[in-house]
Amino acid sequence: MSYLFCMWLVLLILGLVAVASNPAPYFAALGLVVVAGAGCAVLAGFGASFLAVVLFLIYLGGMLVVFAYSAALAAEPHPEGWWDVSVLEYVIFYLVGVGVAVAYFSSEWYNYLLPVVSVCKEFFVLCEDVGGVGVMYSLGGGLLVICASVLLLSLFVVLELVRGASRGALRAV
Amino acid sequence: MTPTHFSFTTAFILGLMGVAFHRTHLLSALLCLEGMMLSLFIALSVWSFQMGVTNFTPAPMMLLAFSACEASAGLALLVATARTHGTDRLQNLNLLQC
Repeated sequence: MSYLFCMWLVLLILGLVAVASNPAPYFAALGLVVVAGAGCAVLAGFGASFLAVVLFLIYLGGMLVVFAYSAALAAEPHPEGWWDVSVLEYVIFYLVGVGVAVAYFSSEWYNYLLPVVSVCKEFFVLCEDVGGVGVMYSLGGGLLVICASVLLLSLFVVLELVRGASRGALRAV
Repeated sequence: MTPTHFSFTTAFILGLMGVAFHRTHLLSALLCLEGMMLSLFIALSVWSFQMGVTNFTPAPMMLLAFSACEASAGLALLVATARTHGTDRLQNLNLLQC
């Protein structure tokens, strides 16, 4: 396992620490961008190129635009970053916890730090995730229909939730 | 436990602790949920790749579709809360009056 791959793994954990340590939503969305990029790089390091592209496009193209809009909705004049005391103590707490977990589990990691194993799959003709996702359109057609109907149902849920203050699921009494 | 397994497990647990502990905004709780779903996506993809199970690779795609449903419902709740309460701070959700 190369050192660059380990750097992406470390960046994955650090991005989740940045999201989970209760900053303002602007900075938490920035941390989630870092997590999505690092996760994409991890999947690409495993050779799952199609899933990496799907992850990157869905998260950065779809969800984070909506999250940026909602962060603008929940705006505040002085957003607290990671340098504030109330956030910084969460950051230190999470980092100490991760450090304890690393010290507990890292005794067997020297096997995986050698760049040996991950090359032997390159003799395959078929790219594995592209062929696998193609199965979703043939054998997994029923699951695909279920996914589409769930998305349609969530559209109606959203329309019912934001319907208005007088009607709908959530109203001011 | 390999370093990859350790990192996405730690990412999931960090997101779970971020949801469970004190949150100021509703939106940051939703962001922690997104981080958890992202680590689950990485876990399913890495599992199907390390085991060589080609037929399992649609499962992360469907997880992504369901996480889109979850994100849309959460954001709709956020918008409705900002309408009725005027803000999305979780302290205001304890109030019985609007």
